[in-house]
Amino acid sequence: MDAELLSDTFVDLADTMVADFDVIDFLHMLTDRSVRLLSVSAAGVVLADPRGELRVAAASSEAAGLIELFQIQNDQGPCLDCFRTGQPVTAADLAGPDQQRWPRFAAAAIRAGFGTVQALPMRLRDQVIGALNLFSAGTGLLGPADLRVGQGLADAATIGLLQERNVRRAETLAEQLQAALNSRVVIEQAKGKLAERAGLDMDQAFTLLREQARSTNQRLTDVARTFIDSATADFPPPPRG
Amino acid sequence: MTAGRPAVVWGLVAGHAAATGRRVSVADVCAVAAGCAQVSGAWVTVSGGREPDFVMCVTDPVGEQLAELQLTLGEGPCHDVLASAAPVLAADLGDQASGRRWPGFAAPAGRLGAGAVFAFPLSIGAIRAGVMGLYRDSPGPLPGPRFGDGLILADAATMLLLDGFQHDGNGAAAADGGRPAAGQSPDLALHRAEIDQATGMLTEQLGVGVAEAFARLRAYAYAHDRRLAEVARDIVARRLWLHDDPGRDSGP
Repeated sequence: MDAELLSDTFVDLADTMVADFDVIDFLHMLTDRSVRLLSVSAAGVVLADPRGELRVAAASSEAAGLIELFQIQNDQGPCLDCFRTGQPVTAADLAGPDQQRWPRFAAAAIRAGFGTVQALPMRLRDQVIGALNLFSAGTGLLGPADLRVGQGLADAATIGLLQERNVRRAETLAEQLQAALNSRVVIEQAKGKLAERAGLDMDQAFTLLREQARSTNQRLTDVARTFIDSATADFPPPPRG
Repeated sequence: MTAGRPAVVWGLVAGHAAATGRRVSVADVCAVAAGCAQVSGAWVTVSGGREPDFVMCVTDPVGEQLAELQLTLGEGPCHDVLASAAPVLAADLGDQASGRRWPGFAAPAGRLGAGAVFAFPLSIGAIRAGVMGLYRDSPGPLPGPRFGDGLILADAATMLLLDGFQHDGNGAAAADGGRPAAGQSPDLALHRAEIDQATGMLTEQLGVGVAEAFARLRAYAYAHDRRLAEVARDIVARRLWLHDDPGRDSGP
């Protein structure tokens, strides 16, 4: 593992929590960094929707988001088992022994190009609020040191959610989870609008939205909401004042 | 965590409509909210923007007065929901925090008989359709599972408001296990990135606002008897394009 990248990551994560914090932006950064730090192919975060289901909150790529969604829809896979048990769950070889354990999920993961999945719980005291999932193209698992870093990143995701709760003064964790998931919907709607307007794919549209938020010091959700709400908005929107 | 809770709650709404012999409407959502959320009453106000426009339905006179008081004052939990697009839970209108936050609303609401008010946005991302308010005659927090039910009921009210009651087929809702439109199980029809992305794409294709884009997406799925998520996937994959004249929609 790249020690410098690791320390940079935790400095960046801490920085992000100081001001103008956007939880979905934060979770995306976390999935991106997980991919680079742990040398996995893709990463995704799922959160417990207070409606009683799991929902994808962030993914390092659209493909990772889709395979997360596949698990949720099919009610099967390491990520769901991890969420239900609160324990890390490993699928070391989806083309081999793990096929029997999650047959539908294994087939879909292989089709999407993933041979290995490791799911790490996001825990708050005795409550499991979600999971960080790491997908790799090949077989073979993360070593103990990498896994500890992975769990550290999952814990950072939990802290990020709590941080936003303080910022928004939401009284309950359920309210905060709902707010985070609604932010994601706003961002997805804005991605669609920008992708259609500029002829981009969804990953490219997300990158543009995020760059706009960074360069103007705004929260990603606010940039997305302004863009989707405005009938005539150019992107990037003209500077205010 | 209970699997399939949205389907259960939608079933209650459809069942209530069937018992009254009418099509599923926001009134059914209010009635179920008042019962299923263990509160004293419920109301829905409709809004196209950040200000509430009018009271759409109420379950009882106290609820009606609470809704109208907030419209008149321009203050209260429901008003705050429109600004934040997040639920506002006032577990004790008699406490100091509520008195400071809503100086004009908290005391009169208490005199009307409300101990707690819980307000839910009727929204899907940037789409805003209104607010659902619940009240209880005694103070106390809304338990977690009831909060989840409140969100599901708010989803139901949002969909019904956006449909504008235009689907005559809703009459079949009860017999169809509580489905609001053919082929669309409501619990799976929401909260997928592709549906949100397709909605955003349609704002551009059709030159309309986000609420109307979502209504058009649902209307297309309904008219073609296809699942909402499937239609959304075709739009995102650029296999299907909608046109402001539906006769010129092009795709599979």
